[in-house]
Amino acid sequence: MNSPTKNDPGSAAISPAEETLRLIARLPVPEALVSRVQAGLRARQMQAAEQSRWSRPWWLHRWIDSTALRAAAAAIIVAIVAGGGWQIYSHVQPAQEPEAVTVPARVGNGGGFSSAGAMRTPDTLKGPVLTKASVPDAGTDHSAAASHKTARPHKSRKTPKLAPPAPPSR
Amino acid sequence: MSASLTLVPTWMENAKSAVPDETRQHAKEEMLAALVEQYAPALYRVAFSVLRNAADAEDAVQETFLRVLRHRDDLDEVRDQRVWLVRIVWNIVLDRKRRAKTRPETDDVSELVRVLPATGLGADDRAAAAQHHAHILALVDQLPPKEREVLMLSAFEELSSVEIAAVLGITESSVRSRLFRARNLMAERMDRRRSRS
Repeated sequence: MNSPTKNDPGSAAISPAEETLRLIARLPVPEALVSRVQAGLRARQMQAAEQSRWSRPWWLHRWIDSTALRAAAAAIIVAIVAGGGWQIYSHVQPAQEPEAVTVPARVGNGGGFSSAGAMRTPDTLKGPVLTKASVPDAGTDHSAAASHKTARPHKSRKTPKLAPPAPPSR
Repeated sequence: MSASLTLVPTWMENAKSAVPDETRQHAKEEMLAALVEQYAPALYRVAFSVLRNAADAEDAVQETFLRVLRHRDDLDEVRDQRVWLVRIVWNIVLDRKRRAKTRPETDDVSELVRVLPATGLGADDRAAAAQHHAHILALVDQLPPKEREVLMLSAFEELSSVEIAAVLGITESSVRSRLFRARNLMAERMDRRRSRS
């Protein structure tokens, strides 16, 4: 396949270049080439084996070669991680919602403020005091008034009487 | 529970496979030794055709088989070991040639005088033949790289154009066209040299 063909104008005959190259391609090889190459390979293999032996301790060799040991170690690591995660979860509990809303205790009728040493507190702090509602006019339907009393507070035309304002205290 | 059950057979399997592993390693080493015996001479010639120095060519062959040793686990996947090895040594020698300084022609002459077979020639005739071949090789070195590589590999009768294409990573038609161009270029340069002399 490499010899020149008739259809190949560049190589009607074997050119001097190809003749030289073929001569070199057929040169005899040096004696004991094969044994030297094999010896070099053996030396390299022994060197690599020595290096690996010295670079790793015996227990590491055993470790690397044993699938069971590695599987056991992996299981232990998983257990430690899972256990640690569970501990963290158990400590960090979400805040529980109270069952009932606790209402703060009432401070007092004074509205949470102290009297600040006052001798007398005005009645206004207590808030307006409503007197009893006025007596209804005659002719008013008692049943309707009664029903109004229960359903809605009676709207009287008269404004509720307020207690007279107390004089200012010193 | 099932994990512990599976661990036991796996451990037992490992104990059983320890012996076949060693046997497999030994088989691979034997295969490598057989490759060296079978292909080292051909690889040496390929290396010498490029480097033109016996010591460098032997180093290249050694380097080739060291690489094979590193990839000995892939030996079973190689379809054509001969082409694979030639490809490795070809890449090694091209890389060395690129890194090395330009080799003077006189080195080629002295080396060729040493390695060329005697074939009944006297010392002067051998020197003249060596010089002639060194001149040719210098002209071959001046060819463009793609054409030069194809021309050099085509000199090896054991390599077909398909195998040359596999070594160089090109198609067979590229091999043929490059070989054609290489021959034309060499013919021009030889004519020019003859016209000068």
